[in-house]
Amino acid sequence: MMPKILLIEDNEMNRDMLSRRLQRRGYRVVTAQDGEQGHILALSEAPDLILMDISLPAMDGWELTRRLKANDTTRHIPIIVLTAHALVTDRAKAFEAGCDDYDTKPIEFERLSEKIESLLAEKKPS
Amino acid sequence: MNLQNLSIRGKLMLITMLTSSAALVLSSASFLIYDLISFRHLLTQDLMTQAQIIGYNSAAAMAFRDEAAATATLSALTAKEDIVAAVLYSPDGKIFAHYFPNGGAHPSALPDRSQTNGYRFEGGYLEVFNDVTLNGERVGTLFLQSDQRQWSVRARRYSIIVGVFVLVAGFFAFFISSQLQRLISRPILHLENAMRMVSANKNYEVRATRFYGDEIGRLIDGFNTMLSEIQHRDTALQRANEELKKGTLELEGEITHRKRTQEELLKAKHAAEDASRAKSAFLANMSHELRTPLNAIIGYSEMLEEETRDSGNAENLHDLRKIQSAGKHLLSLINDVLDLSKIEAGKMGLHLETFDVSVMVEEMVTTLQPAVAKNSNSVRVRMAEDVGMMRADATKVRQILFNLMSNACKFTERGTISLDVSQSVSEGHEWIRFRVKDTGIGISAKQQQNLFQEFSQADATISRKYGGTGLGLAISYRFVQMMKGRISVESQAGQGSTFTVYLPAQVTLDTAESTQSEGTSGVSAGGAEHKPELDTVLVIDDDPAVRDLMSRFLNKIGFRVVAAAGGEEGLRRAREVRPLVITLDVVMPECDGWSVLRKLKADPQLAQIPVIMVTVVDNEAMGFDLGASNYLIKPVDRDRLAVLIEKHRVARSSSPPSKPSRASATKEQLLQAELEASGRSS
Repeated sequence: MMPKILLIEDNEMNRDMLSRRLQRRGYRVVTAQDGEQGHILALSEAPDLILMDISLPAMDGWELTRRLKANDTTRHIPIIVLTAHALVTDRAKAFEAGCDDYDTKPIEFERLSEKIESLLAEKKPS
Repeated sequence: MNLQNLSIRGKLMLITMLTSSAALVLSSASFLIYDLISFRHLLTQDLMTQAQIIGYNSAAAMAFRDEAAATATLSALTAKEDIVAAVLYSPDGKIFAHYFPNGGAHPSALPDRSQTNGYRFEGGYLEVFNDVTLNGERVGTLFLQSDQRQWSVRARRYSIIVGVFVLVAGFFAFFISSQLQRLISRPILHLENAMRMVSANKNYEVRATRFYGDEIGRLIDGFNTMLSEIQHRDTALQRANEELKKGTLELEGEITHRKRTQEELLKAKHAAEDASRAKSAFLANMSHELRTPLNAIIGYSEMLEEETRDSGNAENLHDLRKIQSAGKHLLSLINDVLDLSKIEAGKMGLHLETFDVSVMVEEMVTTLQPAVAKNSNSVRVRMAEDVGMMRADATKVRQILFNLMSNACKFTERGTISLDVSQSVSEGHEWIRFRVKDTGIGISAKQQQNLFQEFSQADATISRKYGGTGLGLAISYRFVQMMKGRISVESQAGQGSTFTVYLPAQVTLDTAESTQSEGTSGVSAGGAEHKPELDTVLVIDDDPAVRDLMSRFLNKIGFRVVAAAGGEEGLRRAREVRPLVITLDVVMPECDGWSVLRKLKADPQLAQIPVIMVTVVDNEAMGFDLGASNYLIKPVDRDRLAVLIEKHRVARSSSPPSKPSRASATKEQLLQAELEASGRSS
């Protein structure tokens, strides 16, 4: 069975496009529009990887990451955050919050899918 | 009144008066005395003559003892008012006859008759004795007493006359002296007056009038000369003063003006800074807002392209690629603007990493291919064989080269763009030199002046013809500066351009207190031969509990652990064991984690070893700026730590640890990538 990816993104076009492109690669994709919904789906869907925008309504990406990493059932799920700010402090903040990887928008799909694959590969042996 | 303080007029008059009065009184007195003495003498002679006459007349009466006749003879003296007593003594000394005009004579007061012939002054009276003789025989003695009335009357009268004379003479003397003293006092008083005027009014134009050619005249001349000298100096002084005042006034005006200008400048500076901040913030915001829709455009077009290709419908493929390429172009412009605003806001940091220059160049050239093809250019890359690894911000180096190369492509048609990479040593440092040369339109000397400034394309028409924001070179320039390198250009209009970039082979961060000697002595290939022990993790922490926990955990997941309790020990151990990864605490007693990190990154043999900060200190920015690879806050998430270390192990084993050996290469190996223009857009 192909890995399941939870995509949390409030921008409808980005969500639609990313989910379609991921599906084209064969991933199963679950989408959420905001932090809270993402939190619920992360718990209920048990995805293999989470891809989230950092600026989300209801609960932002930092907070959601912290919660997921604090929870034993979701701690192991790799998280890639997407941010429009390519600042040093953002990168540091992403790792501090417990994110496993980090990418900037606009998304270079090839680069992103490499990151996804490498995280999923890392996860497999454990 | 003090005589010495008397006015000169008074002194002169006093002197004249005293002198003349003294002379007058002296001469009058001597005359008077002389006159009175001679008059008294005359009176005495006269009285003695009188006495002889009476003696002669009374001799018979005495001889015959005729008392009545004798008394009658004495009575003849009535005419003489001054005779107060006349006595005839008989030879035996008894009074024979007497005459007292006032009738008040006292015989007892009369002198003895035993007196001899002669005169004497006795009690204010003149007395005369005269023997009365008859035929040579002395028959008696006559005594006359005179009160010298004429003498005293004369003396009184003369005294009055002399007094009046002295007074009148004194008056005349006063009058004359009061007139004549002006000869002396007037010029002196005038001089004094002039002096007072000068000193009171400070008016040096006053001149004293010279009256006579005497000493005072000369004094006045001297005074006038002095005055004109003073006036001359005073005028000069005044002029100098006025000039000074004018100068001071001008200076004050100037100072006020400058102060105002300074304030204005300061205000303008603040305003400009505010505006610049606002601009940077605006640009950052705008860029962000623009990226979101762009994200969708590029994403959808890529997706459509894939789908179109899969469905075998080649018809729309061309157009889709155009959309994509335009979107990517727009994105690169926005990125430029964002980069610059980040640089200006001071938010652009360096991420130092060690990378293979040739690999980076190859990648860059591949990315460049569409731009090369567009103007039918060809690219030559020449890589000197001694160029190996460099430590710098790879993304920025790549961006610098990409900017220069794509500019060269943009401004050259059917030409050759060449990139030369070589290594050199100067000023005790190793440098990597990148030289980008084109055969395009070139840049005039005037255009070169502002070449590296923001928003300044060489020519306004250029932006219309060639497009672009004009930010590429400005960004490249800033990046080169950040890495302490140099960028320069050589060009002539129509002759092509050559851009040369020098970057240190080992870029260091500004905060580095790292000793430069350490960096230079090691050279980049210093530790290349030592095979690092891949499985060792060095834990630097002063807390024994942390060291123990970390050791046990890392042992469990398959790593050998070397622990150090302090910074110095940690550095020593790092050189000894060459660990795969170092975990580093910040708060340590004698040498804190930041300085350990700096020293690690400054040592070329240790710089490549990834450092994971494990600390309670919440300052990731500092950690990343100093070159840390990861930053974990205590208490540590063990899974996260394990993942990070594992990642570094994978990274280490998949890439060469240091300078790749090119033993098989000839001395002047050229890495040439000739990319012929394909004539089609990719």
